[in-house]
Amino acid sequence: MKLEVTGLTKCYGTTRALDGLTLPVESARVLVLIGPSGGGKSTLLRVLGGLEMADGGTVKINGHALLPDAAALQAYRRKNGFLFQQFNLFPHLTAHRNISLPLEKVHGHAPVRAREIAAQALDRFGLLDHADKLPAQLSGGQQQRVGIARAVAHQPEVLFLDEPTSALDPEMTAEVLELIQELAEAGQDIILSTHEMGFARAVADQVAFVAAGKIEELSPPAGLFGAPRSALCQRFLSRVMRY
Amino acid sequence: MTRRQLLANVLVALALAGLFAWLCTSVFALLGKQTDWSKAWEYRETLWRGWLVTLGISFAALAGSIFFGLLFMLGQRSPLVVVRWTCRAFLEFVRDTPLLVHLLFGYFVIFAPLLSRPLGERGLDDKMLIGVLLLSVFEGAYLGEILRGGVESIPRTQWESARAVGFSPLQVYRYVIFPQALRRVLPAMAGLFVSLIKDSSLLNVIGVAEYFYNTRNFISRSYAGLEGYVPLALGYLILTIPVAWLSHWLEKRFRHET
Repeated sequence: MKLEVTGLTKCYGTTRALDGLTLPVESARVLVLIGPSGGGKSTLLRVLGGLEMADGGTVKINGHALLPDAAALQAYRRKNGFLFQQFNLFPHLTAHRNISLPLEKVHGHAPVRAREIAAQALDRFGLLDHADKLPAQLSGGQQQRVGIARAVAHQPEVLFLDEPTSALDPEMTAEVLELIQELAEAGQDIILSTHEMGFARAVADQVAFVAAGKIEELSPPAGLFGAPRSALCQRFLSRVMRY
Repeated sequence: MTRRQLLANVLVALALAGLFAWLCTSVFALLGKQTDWSKAWEYRETLWRGWLVTLGISFAALAGSIFFGLLFMLGQRSPLVVVRWTCRAFLEFVRDTPLLVHLLFGYFVIFAPLLSRPLGERGLDDKMLIGVLLLSVFEGAYLGEILRGGVESIPRTQWESARAVGFSPLQVYRYVIFPQALRRVLPAMAGLFVSLIKDSSLLNVIGVAEYFYNTRNFISRSYAGLEGYVPLALGYLILTIPVAWLSHWLEKRFRHET
C-alpha cells in the first residue's frame, strides 16, 4: 500500500488533535502507529479509515484521494475494514449474524451466500464453535477476533485497527495479536495503532511515531526501535521499554 | 419465610380483606335495591358497539402514534437546526397542554371546519378520524420522547461500528440502533399504550360513540349506577391487561437474550 498524507489538521474544540501531519509511505504492507496517548494516533486512524473528515490537508491511499464528502466516505468505508478497541460487535446479533448482516446489506450478497462467507470467515480464525453465541457470551479476546473476522470477511483493501488489544488481558492480547500477524503474513494491508512494542517490531514494515499531532519519526522497525533519531521518540521508548 | 413473617402476612391479608368486604357491603347496602343488572343486559348492544369502537380507535391511534413518534424522534435528531427547534417547540406544547384541550380546540376550531365536509361527503365518520388523529399526535409526542431516550442511550461505539461496517445512515438505524433501543424502551412504550387506551375515552367530548360515551348515555337514560360503571371498568381492563401482560413477557424474553 502506498500512502501520501500531507498537512493533515483536525481540531476538537480548541485542542489540535492533528497539527499539519505529513506522512509519506512509499510502500508498506503493515504500517504501525505508536506514540503517547492523546498524541493523535486514533484521530489519524479515524481520518485514514474514513470515519472522520479532516479540517485541512489531503490523504491519498494507493493513488486515490480521500474526498471530504459523506457519500464518498461511506463508499470508501465499505471497501475497507475498521476495528475499534472494544464493543465492535452488535450485542443483539450472534457472532455469525454480525458478519453476515453487513455482507448481505452492505455488500449485496444473497442471504445464503452471505451466510456461507460468514461461516468461512469464522472457520478461518477457529471461531466456528462460537458462531451462534451472542457477543455477551464471548470473552473479550473472542469478541475482538470475531470483530476482525467481520472486518476482513469482504476482503478489504486496507484493514484499520485502532489499539485492538488495549482492553484485553495479556493472554487474550496474545490470541488477537497472533491473528493479526496471520493476516499480515497472508498479505493483508494493515494500518494499526498499538502500545505493544514487541508486536510492532515483529509485524511492521514501517513504524510511525505520532506525538502532538505530528509524525515525529518514520522508519522501518529495526531503525526506529534500534536507534531512534528524535528526542521525543527516544524518551517515549525508554519509558515504555523500562519494565 | 420465618414464622413471624408468615403471621404478619396472614394478619395483614385478613385486615385488607376485611376492609374491602366492609366497603363492598356498605356500598351494596346503599345501592342494593336499585341495582338491576337486567338494565345493562338491555343495553348490551350499544355497549358492545361502543367497546368495539374503543378497540378500533385504540388500534388506529396506536399505529398513528408510532408514526408520529418516529417522526418526532427523527425530527429532533435532524441535522437542520430549524427542524430540531420546531420539533422541540411543538413537542413541548403538545406535552404541556391537556389532551382535553387538544380534542376540543383541535376538533372544533381547526379540523372540523377544514375536514368535516370533505370527509362526510365520502361517507366517513369525521369525528372518529379527527379524534384518532389528535390522539395519535398527543401520544406520538410522548412516544417520540421515549424513542429519543432509547436511541440516545445506545453507546457511541455502536453508531461508530455500524458506520465502520459501511451501513448507510438509514441502515444504521434499521439494523443496529432500533433493535437495541426498542428493547430498552419496551416497558415505557407498553405503559404509554395502556394510557392511550384509557385516554381514548376522552374522545367522548367531541361526540365519538366509543365505550365511555355509550356507557354514559346508558347510565343517564336508565339511571343505572354500579351496573353501568362495573362493566365500564371491566371493558377497559380487558383491553389494557393483555398489553401490560405482553410487555412483561417481552421484557423477560429480551432480558434473557442479552
